Amino acid sequence: MRTRAELLVGVLASAGVVVLVSAVVALLKPHVPVLSLGALYVLAVLPVAILWGTALAAVVSVASMLVFNWFFLPPIHSFHLRESQNWLALAIYLVIAFTVSALAARARARREDAEQRRAEAHALAEAALDLLRGRTLDEELGRLAALTAGVLGVEGARLELGKQPPLAEERALPVEAGLRCVATLFVDEEATVDEAVQRRFLPSLAALLAVAVERSRLEAEALEAEALRRSDALKTALLRAVSHDLRSPLTAILASADALASPGLALEPEDRLALAETIRSETTRLDRVVEQLLDLSRLEAGAAEPHRELWSVDELVGQALSGLGADATRVRVEIGPETPPVEVDAAQVERVLANLLDNALHYSPAGSGVLVRAEPGATELRLHVVDRGPGLPPEEREALFQPFRRGTEGRRGSGLGLSIARGFAEANGGRLWAQDDPGGGHLVLALPLAERPAAVRT
Amino acid sequence: MTRVLVVDDEPQILRALRTSLRGAGYDVETAESAEQALAALAANPPDAVVLDLVLPDGSGTEVTRELRTWSSAPVIVLSVVGDETEKIAALDAGADDYVTKPFGIDELLARLRAALRRVDAPTEPVVEVGGLRIDLEKRAVSVDGKPVQLTPHEFALLRVLAQNPGKLLTHATLLREVWGRGYGDESHYLHVYVSQLRRKLEEDPARPRYILTEPGAGYRLAAPS
Repeated sequence: MRTRAELLVGVLASAGVVVLVSAVVALLKPHVPVLSLGALYVLAVLPVAILWGTALAAVVSVASMLVFNWFFLPPIHSFHLRESQNWLALAIYLVIAFTVSALAARARARREDAEQRRAEAHALAEAALDLLRGRTLDEELGRLAALTAGVLGVEGARLELGKQPPLAEERALPVEAGLRCVATLFVDEEATVDEAVQRRFLPSLAALLAVAVERSRLEAEALEAEALRRSDALKTALLRAVSHDLRSPLTAILASADALASPGLALEPEDRLALAETIRSETTRLDRVVEQLLDLSRLEAGAAEPHRELWSVDELVGQALSGLGADATRVRVEIGPETPPVEVDAAQVERVLANLLDNALHYSPAGSGVLVRAEPGATELRLHVVDRGPGLPPEEREALFQPFRRGTEGRRGSGLGLSIARGFAEANGGRLWAQDDPGGGHLVLALPLAERPAAVRT
Repeated sequence: MTRVLVVDDEPQILRALRTSLRGAGYDVETAESAEQALAALAANPPDAVVLDLVLPDGSGTEVTRELRTWSSAPVIVLSVVGDETEKIAALDAGADDYVTKPFGIDELLARLRAALRRVDAPTEPVVEVGGLRIDLEKRAVSVDGKPVQLTPHEFALLRVLAQNPGKLLTHATLLREVWGRGYGDESHYLHVYVSQLRRKLEEDPARPRYILTEPGAGYRLAAPS
């Protein structure tokens, strides 16, 4: 809608061009037959028609002819004309001016329309891109509303999925694809929206949104199914692992106890001793499995709240070694005197280290040792636990930390130890991973360094 | 002396079984993996095999299948609850029986004795289990001296069971033996015929004495008296 100010600018500019053209005519008058210069006023009409439309252009056309008549056609300073054919010339100029202004205005309208459509197409393309980029639909609604507001030429808009009632001082525009109301667009109550644009743009937007809504629904379903599948697989793995890890020692214990108790068996004294020893060691093992299961359930329940304190790495490693018994002699420790302290829960990190050492010793060939080496960094301390065992191919390294890993090759043992180790490491702000090492197994435990107070740091 | 190969990757179980079986008078050899087991089987064929289902380098099923290509020595598999599919596969591959971990040593010894006895005893033309008498040649069946009329399929089923008295036969084996190839999955046929047989043979079909159910695995005829 034309504002008063725009109209005023138009009128003043029109007057300006008429004066300008008149000045040019006055300059050329001595050299050219004056009547032919009337055509120059078309140059005044044309920009006015393009910029302000036909109405003002018509006014300018008439005004131009009057000015031309008054100033340049004899008798000068009168609207009378000495020669009657000059009337015809003026009439022809007027018709040309009207026609040109009508053509210019139409071209202008077409260009505006084309620009509007281009803006709409651009907005749709952008909306499609946004919706396909994989962010959540809710995040995109704000952006889409802004895009739509731009296309409709309103100050601002709000977009909500589904059919929604408007708030106060709002007008609701349904965004419909066919008969289905996909979303509702809210604009200011006062805002005027071009009907044609609305009819053209909103259904396209609705179609896009409908696809996006469908997609996000399918995504959500797929995610849910995947989560269910995983938790199912985990439960199955848990049952199998627990079944195996608890039953193996139980089997050995029951068979040994049975044999000891059976009067029908001819057992030597050393056989009896061996059976008793089996019962003892398998009971210890069973106890350890139960403890690991408890650790794991604590971790999974989020009940393993670490009590973090400053600890020297020597002490943590030392504690873990003391729990290993005779095997501790197979572990070589390299911790430099400058190694900074870490801020962790000592009991939990000892458990991590014990599990790492257990694992490394288990896979080390008899006679070879395990190395524990500390490598201080800027923000974390890395503890390398290196064995000379077979190691693991890269693709199997992550699986090492999955609870209850029991590979298809029928590999025994639940692999609970490393999964618990990673759980505790992460609970303490650390990380645990397997590193490439041609020499054998190589696990790295990164622990956060203690944040020293500024006063101490100096 | 009867030689038994015990295969399990758990050293403690191996130790307990070796001691117990030796105490029971068997000559015991042990192996901790499928590879070791196959090597031991080939080097010095045992009279029976006690075989864990899950081995570090393969499954007991594969070992059984391999062994069955050249030996009929009885195989008793050690399974755990949860490994039913694998257990059935091993039995289908030719294993004779199973015990579920944890098991009492007496149970294992009993299964082992029964399996070894079946190998020694040639199939008799007449099988007697308690009051049940099955004459395989004359196709005549009687319970406590009273003759029982069976349909051809019922008799075919009973015959397969009687030819392997005391042995666990899987659903798949029974279906294949009685109905032929292509019926391996239709266990419901089997359940129907077994229940018909029990109604004709058993005093109390709900508490069978002759045709015993191994839940989830198959059926067996009670060991001959």
